[in-house]
Amino acid sequence: MLRYSLTVLIVLLPIVLSAAGITFEGHVRPILKAHCFQCHGEAGEKQSGLDLRLRRFMAKGGESGPAFDVNAPAESLLLERVRSGEMPPGDDKQLSEADIRTIDAWIRSGAKTARPEPDEVGDGPLFTEEERNYWAFQPVHRPAVPRRPVSSRERTPIDAFILNAMTPGNGFAGDADPFRLIRRAWFDLAGLPPSPAAVAAFVDDRSPAAWERLIDQLLASPSYGERWGRHWLDVAGYADSEGYTDEDRVRSHAFRYRDYVIRAFNSDKPFDEFIREQLAGDEMVPLPHKNMTADTIEKLTATGFLRMASDGTASSGIDQSVARNQVIADTLQIVGTSLLGLTVNCAQCHDHRYDPIPQTDYYRLRAIFEPGLDWKNWKAPPARQISLYTDADIELAKKIEIEAVTVEQERLQKADSYITRTLEEELLLVPEGLREALRTAFRSAEKDRNDDQKALLKEYPSVASISVGSLYLYDRRRDERAGKLDAERSVKEMRFVAETAKQELDKVPAEERKAIEAALNIASDKRNETQQTLLKKYSGVLVTAATLSQFNPQAAAELEQDRNTASELRSSKAAVDLKSYADLAAEIRGTKPGEGFVRTLTEAAGVVPATFVFFRGDHEQPKDKVQPGDLSILGGGKSIAENDASLPSTGRRLAFAKHLTDGRHPLVARVVANRIWLHHFGHGLVESPGDFGVLGERPTHPQLLDWLASELVDSGWSVKHLHRLIMTSTVYQQSSIAMAQAENGASLTPLYSSFPVRRLESEVIRDAVLAVTGRLNSKLYGEAVPVMEDEVGRVVIGQENLDGERKPTKTIALNGEEFRRSVYVQVRRSRTLSMFETFDAPTMSPNCDRRSFSTVTPQSLLMMNSDFSIEHSNQLARRVIDEVGEDVRLQVGFAWQLVFARAPTVDELNEAVDFVYSQRPLIAAADSTLKTDDASREALGVFCQALLSSSRFLYVD
Amino acid sequence: MLNHLPEQWLQSRRDFCRSGAFGLAPIALAWLLKQDDVLAAPVKPNIHGQEFSLARRATDFEPQATAMISLFMQGGPSQVDLLDPKPELNRLDGQKFPGTIKYDNAAQASSRVLGSPWKFRKYGECGTDVSELLPGIAEVVDDILVVRSMHTGVNNHGQSIHSMNSGRTQRGRPSLGSWLTYGLGAETQNLPAFVALTDPRGIPVEGVLNWSNGWLPSLFQGTVVRPQEPRILNLEPPASRRGPVQEVYLKYLRRLNEQHQADHPQNSDLAARISNYELAARMQTAAHEALDISKETKATQEMYGIDQKDSQEYGTRCLIARRLIERGVRFAQVFTNNQYWDHHGSIRTALPAACRKTERPAAGLVKDLKQRGLLDSTVVHWGGEMGRLPVIQNDAGPGKVGRDHNTYGFTMWLAGGGFKRGGTYGATDEFGHHAVTDVVNHYDYHATLLHLFGIQPEQLVYKRNGREESLLDGQPGRIVEGLLA
Repeated sequence: MLRYSLTVLIVLLPIVLSAAGITFEGHVRPILKAHCFQCHGEAGEKQSGLDLRLRRFMAKGGESGPAFDVNAPAESLLLERVRSGEMPPGDDKQLSEADIRTIDAWIRSGAKTARPEPDEVGDGPLFTEEERNYWAFQPVHRPAVPRRPVSSRERTPIDAFILNAMTPGNGFAGDADPFRLIRRAWFDLAGLPPSPAAVAAFVDDRSPAAWERLIDQLLASPSYGERWGRHWLDVAGYADSEGYTDEDRVRSHAFRYRDYVIRAFNSDKPFDEFIREQLAGDEMVPLPHKNMTADTIEKLTATGFLRMASDGTASSGIDQSVARNQVIADTLQIVGTSLLGLTVNCAQCHDHRYDPIPQTDYYRLRAIFEPGLDWKNWKAPPARQISLYTDADIELAKKIEIEAVTVEQERLQKADSYITRTLEEELLLVPEGLREALRTAFRSAEKDRNDDQKALLKEYPSVASISVGSLYLYDRRRDERAGKLDAERSVKEMRFVAETAKQELDKVPAEERKAIEAALNIASDKRNETQQTLLKKYSGVLVTAATLSQFNPQAAAELEQDRNTASELRSSKAAVDLKSYADLAAEIRGTKPGEGFVRTLTEAAGVVPATFVFFRGDHEQPKDKVQPGDLSILGGGKSIAENDASLPSTGRRLAFAKHLTDGRHPLVARVVANRIWLHHFGHGLVESPGDFGVLGERPTHPQLLDWLASELVDSGWSVKHLHRLIMTSTVYQQSSIAMAQAENGASLTPLYSSFPVRRLESEVIRDAVLAVTGRLNSKLYGEAVPVMEDEVGRVVIGQENLDGERKPTKTIALNGEEFRRSVYVQVRRSRTLSMFETFDAPTMSPNCDRRSFSTVTPQSLLMMNSDFSIEHSNQLARRVIDEVGEDVRLQVGFAWQLVFARAPTVDELNEAVDFVYSQRPLIAAADSTLKTDDASREALGVFCQALLSSSRFLYVD
Repeated sequence: MLNHLPEQWLQSRRDFCRSGAFGLAPIALAWLLKQDDVLAAPVKPNIHGQEFSLARRATDFEPQATAMISLFMQGGPSQVDLLDPKPELNRLDGQKFPGTIKYDNAAQASSRVLGSPWKFRKYGECGTDVSELLPGIAEVVDDILVVRSMHTGVNNHGQSIHSMNSGRTQRGRPSLGSWLTYGLGAETQNLPAFVALTDPRGIPVEGVLNWSNGWLPSLFQGTVVRPQEPRILNLEPPASRRGPVQEVYLKYLRRLNEQHQADHPQNSDLAARISNYELAARMQTAAHEALDISKETKATQEMYGIDQKDSQEYGTRCLIARRLIERGVRFAQVFTNNQYWDHHGSIRTALPAACRKTERPAAGLVKDLKQRGLLDSTVVHWGGEMGRLPVIQNDAGPGKVGRDHNTYGFTMWLAGGGFKRGGTYGATDEFGHHAVTDVVNHYDYHATLLHLFGIQPEQLVYKRNGREESLLDGQPGRIVEGLLA
């Protein structure tokens, strides 16, 4: 019960079967492929001699006889076995009732095939016509735009396709008002809300080109790359840490790939080139990787795409073979879902149960990447980074390193002398007779010590344990000794003073001694003149610690000696001193020119590893060797050679990348176009963007998808071209308010008959909040903004600063970095920013091909109570007061404009003002420490909080 | 197909239902799907990741325990001075220790034996020896089982804390409370399922890792009940926004949201968001009520030592822990502050002080749970990550001496939830240094705990990186029959 089993709901359309239409290929084989082929037909497996791949094999049957009997359908062995639950073996693997009924109906209707079965079955994959004809494997043909009666609502061919799919009488909603439009466009293209000024400019611009100008403006803004780069980073599985192990090592240099992606979108890098660089940038640049040009660095950085999967191979305590193969599997999964839109990873252990992807195909794809991800000659992450140092940098760094090493050598010498000092001090505490023996024992190497020496050291652990690492403990002990010495000294001092006074008194001639004693018994201010004179003459009797040296230099010298010893004990701290050397060495090293690295995938020159099919996916059971290639159902990508002699590397990835982007691949352009559509509308034309296979969704508008894919390719793979096409269409500009509600409710509302209402993603919510409070730091690119755990374990933005016991020490200022856009916040797999996680940020396992959105109470609680919500709403209130002053109507109106990108109506404004006034006395009552001004500002803060918590802010419509 | 909206377009009402409110993360709904849908769905490739919830789950067999309160004595209480008397130490007091010792603090190490400065007596029908430092525990001795043979084996706080609290010495693994809530779900959705109550003077060694979910979904992370307001972050606003202020805010927010929703009546997500704020407010009230001990009688408060200065604070947290368990919280851990029991020096004054702070509340908790009939189903654990050595550390006079770390043999006690009542289990050697009889390793303890919660230890697994992770992680944990009632 406690084991979770993965169950994902898919909406299955009820298939009404007319018995006559049931065929083996169309209905029965998919069931058998999903449930039975692994033991009965796939890869030579024919358990009990039964092969279920063809009807005629079934008719022949296995050791127990034919699988079915058309004359006595009910007695068919196949039906018996599945009905009794005997087959497939395992309680959780049983066929559903519906599947059994299908098989039953097929046999009853004569066990027909759709066409004559092939005479020969070779070793290669056996695809049916149905599989070959599957929509996603067909070449993309640019469809003709549907001809329709002229309609003012039809702005672009896209509109024609959408309208054409609607039943007569249905259509688009009216155009959205300009306020909604500009907010929609800003969030869509920039991931930010428009400023009140931008809204005003757009709304006032009556020219027909205003909308296109806005789109162009947004596409030209660097925020565009941050927004759309983030979409691709999801698909690539971008993370700033390696994952896999508990250690979750930080990837300090991954950010360069993130920046590469953002730049690529901003410059509208043709998407085919973008794909080629990410798959094979290293095969497009010259060797060696020294004194590299910007172009070389860019292309190498692009291969970071193939380094996004979790990679635990630099951590200890793992099974390297398992970990390495996992990196390869995850990378293939990322490539499969991001570019092919197929779950090729499901064919790692067996033939794909639903799609026509035999297990050998999986390994043919693997062979493309194997020279770069060679598990037999593996390179852990640190060995895969390429330094950006130039020769000049290297020279300088070398010089500085020599200086640092010199300091370290001094430190070692110092450490030796501290060990000796500590040893001698500790020996003083040991009976004298044992000292020499103990010293010798300590100085002997452990293996050379005899039993007596070992016993002696065991008896004196405080001697035995002296080491560079434990010196700090002895420093503490020296402090204690100093304290003890001080205490003893003050006792001694009192004794010395008393003794000296006594000696001085003894020196006084007997006749005056009585008078002196009498004088000493009188308080100093009560003494008469004679007594004072007398005491002046024999001042030694009044000796104090301060004057001791005049009368008893020897005693004073002894005390001085003790004082010096204590001070020596305190001041000369071995650990502190040694640390200062280490610090100095570190400081010297800190002056080296900063060394940047790129995370890359490259191949070892001259090495061509072989790829084998792994039996059941087990790397310890390699079977047949395979050649690199694309999926067989797509023709196999014959252009991929085993080793391209013209390149230092094998050239496999470059050939594959060219094959994918040649404009004829049936999947790549469709997959890319679908993603672009998906991010504009929140819905894909194919709703499962990472799975165009049988278990994925079918396209809602197949012709539009193909038309967009053709446009993409024909425009030179310009993503911005597709944005313009889509956004200038009515389908995008229409209102989110459905024109009329169909009587039967939601189920009759046609697709795209209004603009879908969407909640903002977690990162966009944070960015939008920062934007409206005026604190957004729009700095582009660079190292990740760090995240850390706060006092209760929530992940917040901040530089972790813990001591050895993980107690937080002083806060490190981030100097505005904390207000940078979310795309720059460190993506540590084990530490997703709590605010992001609450609002559904994805876990990269290994990537995220589509985000999900939830509506759960932690989100409400976060908006109601969190530091995030309170702090930013107060900041918004401060901004509003700063910009418009004390007038509540102006304050409320401006806040409304900032947050909702439109002015409030009169009713809304009045209600808001009432709210602010009603809050003031309540706040004053709730917190009596607040002054009136503070209560007013706080009331405005609560108002701002209400705006920021509201659906109108959290959603785009 | 083209003329009706697919399921995904209707931001579904299910999203609204999946509210494990206190997880820091959103959670999932797989469990809410109609059963036949689930059965009808083919096994789909794992491209969307697993989904998790805090819904209550069936156990492998009838559980005896359904909740647990762990009183975590961070630092390592001295077993030989509290619950594991060693006359041999007093006989050899001041003499050279006859065996081998592994020290943590080398510089202050000494090989001289330290006899216990405190007297022991037998109490209760079971006759368990209890030190004079634990008069309260002496009163409940027939309800608790003293385990004297604990062993983790790595002589540092961090590693040993992780052994006790998350099963292995390494950082980064899920803690006990996370495993229990992952395996059993929650009894209430109004309160966090796993709660850590921290000390006003600071958090324990290893900090927030003590209640970390490790690589389990963050839904199973412990929620900290802080010693000061706001007690649960995100669950209470600052003072100036409480009460009527928040009520009026929520009313206005509802109005804003309804106006917005009026444009999109078909969007169920918008409707869900409106209800969700109300649900959140209700939870806030529930949590507030659970943390408020003012409704407890004076007698109850006194039982926890809340009437006494030394034990007032810890007693309050123990009482809150009981109130939380009573209201359906699965696992509550009440921590002492950083290295509170780490008595390397001055043990003669520091140990009695630590006992005064904690022992009355701990005993009161056992009594109270028993009176309320909750002890049968609630495990109470008292103990730290280690015990202490039989020899002197810091040999600088009687007032200064202490004891160094000892993870090779130490003591904890357990009560309720199916653990044996009264008596002792296991034994250390004659010096209290090494557990020698019926050794209980941390993984034996964990296996036994899971068993009492109705879980087969090896069945509670989480799939990660293609392997099945578990609390025991392959260590040979056994269900210790001798601990069971």
